[in-house]
Amino acid sequence: MNITQSFKMAIKSITDNKARSILTMLGIIIGVAAVIIMVSVVQGANQWSKEYYEKQGTNKVTVNAYPYNGKDITEDLYNYCLGLSEYVAGVTPNGSVYTDIKYKTKSTDNMEYGGPSTYLGSDQYSLCNNFTLAKGRDISQLDVKKENQVIVLGARVAEYLFGVSEPVGQKVTVGGVSFTVVGVYKAKDPDSDWSMDNMAVVPYTCGRLLGQNSASTNFTVKATGREEANKAVTMITGFLSGLIPTGTGDYWVQSENQWQEMDEQYTQQMSLVVGGIAGISLLVGGIGIMNIMLVTVTERTHEIGIRKAIGGSRRSIIMQFLIEAAVVCCCGGFIGVVIGYLGTVVAGKLTLDMLIFPSVGMTVGAVGFSVLLGIIFGMYPAIKASGLQPVEALRAD
Amino acid sequence: MISMKLIDVKHVWKIYNEGYENEVRALADVSLEIDRKEFVAIIGQSGSGKSTLMNILGCLDVPTYGDYHLDGHLVSEMSDAQLSKIRNREVGFIFQGFNLIPALTALENVELPLTYQGVFGSRRREMALEALEKVGLAERCNHKPSEMSGGQQQRVAIARAISTRAPIIMADEPTGALDSKTGKHVLEILHGLHDEGTTIILITHDNKIAATAERIVRISDGQIIQDCPREEAEL
Repeated sequence: MNITQSFKMAIKSITDNKARSILTMLGIIIGVAAVIIMVSVVQGANQWSKEYYEKQGTNKVTVNAYPYNGKDITEDLYNYCLGLSEYVAGVTPNGSVYTDIKYKTKSTDNMEYGGPSTYLGSDQYSLCNNFTLAKGRDISQLDVKKENQVIVLGARVAEYLFGVSEPVGQKVTVGGVSFTVVGVYKAKDPDSDWSMDNMAVVPYTCGRLLGQNSASTNFTVKATGREEANKAVTMITGFLSGLIPTGTGDYWVQSENQWQEMDEQYTQQMSLVVGGIAGISLLVGGIGIMNIMLVTVTERTHEIGIRKAIGGSRRSIIMQFLIEAAVVCCCGGFIGVVIGYLGTVVAGKLTLDMLIFPSVGMTVGAVGFSVLLGIIFGMYPAIKASGLQPVEALRAD
Repeated sequence: MISMKLIDVKHVWKIYNEGYENEVRALADVSLEIDRKEFVAIIGQSGSGKSTLMNILGCLDVPTYGDYHLDGHLVSEMSDAQLSKIRNREVGFIFQGFNLIPALTALENVELPLTYQGVFGSRRREMALEALEKVGLAERCNHKPSEMSGGQQQRVAIARAISTRAPIIMADEPTGALDSKTGKHVLEILHGLHDEGTTIILITHDNKIAATAERIVRISDGQIIQDCPREEAEL
């Protein structure tokens, strides 16, 4: 008996016992496919939320400060943050006005999902909120200082007002006040109706022209990293406590990362829950494999008795059963992976509108587990019965 | 001393559940010698221990006590691989219940011992067909056991037993599940093999079948109570 013969015998046994082979495969197929699809969709959701936060800009710190005397702290905060370059990448006021932007006869009041927010920002607005320029230039420090009436448009607004023509250099009116378009940001959220690109930025010093008579009270600080965001919160809180002594105003400083962290925690819990469910389906699939294998033990024990009686050695019988189980399980595992991948792509498209693929490690794990289970239980009768005297094995009826 | 007999059983016991209340002595101190080319019938009532003896002779079971030399080799000292070789090459076993593998065709069943022997390809097919031819079933070689009558299945089993040209054929009630006509046919095949020089050991409870053998061994309650040529036996 050599391997080729064992292999032939195993293949023969598989095709001669189609029902048994298919049932075994089915257990593996369902187990593997279910695990792959479920875990992948959750991983896809994680990915989706991560991308969402990255688009919004990560490591942001929100600062709210209300001195009772109405003092404008914008410049103080700006200058303080410049000194914190180790922790802080940028700072901007974050106030906004909701007013129409008009170009010739076109008004953003008529946009399908509502008009844009016009932010009153510093030269670091785009840095803080993760916008990058598509054309033209950004708001400059000089614009802020000189109260230049310039505006940078978000992609959605630029597209609506100008279509394919060149916006840079054109004049638009914001709430009736004339501004020159100096730049356009790249679209970062083109697919959603409530797009992050439905916005525009003007220097915060122009706020009064737009009816914002009080000083900015809301700021966004961009930290250089996760750890740094927490440090920035502490330092800025300390700074504000000096600037606005107790009893002269309110302020609070918060890291925006907490939302992302909460979301991450939530999706992590989801991963655990879904992973648990997937594990259970893998286990059920495994029990299915086990059942069908154990049900056939008697039948197979008798067969092993016959094989031993006519000269099959223990080694050759175990070899045959091992190959048989391995082939059945690997076929099942392969089909399971194919179904799992297709299912993942379809489910990803349907639920998240994303193209997601299962991770290799998870696929290998799921296949490995079920194949191992199949092989163990496939070999079980062989290991058990081939050690018996042929007569004892033949008695199994 | 190494025995020169083909089969040499000395003081063999087979005891089930030894030491328990339900202890059964299937064989009690049995000694038996069989020479090459003999045709021996082992006869006894059901439960007499004849099948147990046969299983031990065919290396399908091991005695609790006692020595069994087959062709000069002590069976109890053999490894699994050596025993497999004996079952494969030295002994062809025919069961009362045929014991064919249901998923395989007649030809594949007959080829199986040859496969374990390491005979492959067209040579294996040739040998298997030759064996089937001997039992008159060559044209049914692609049928599965379930598509055959009992007599045909037993003939396939015989073909399987003789396919490796084993020098000893052991048959445990080979006609037990067959009607008298097909039973007779099976016996004729066995006699034909004997004429070609094969040692035949036949188990039966039927005196008429035993009467066709050269030598009769009668067993009762696990002990041999008679061992003589057919002419002297009381049947």
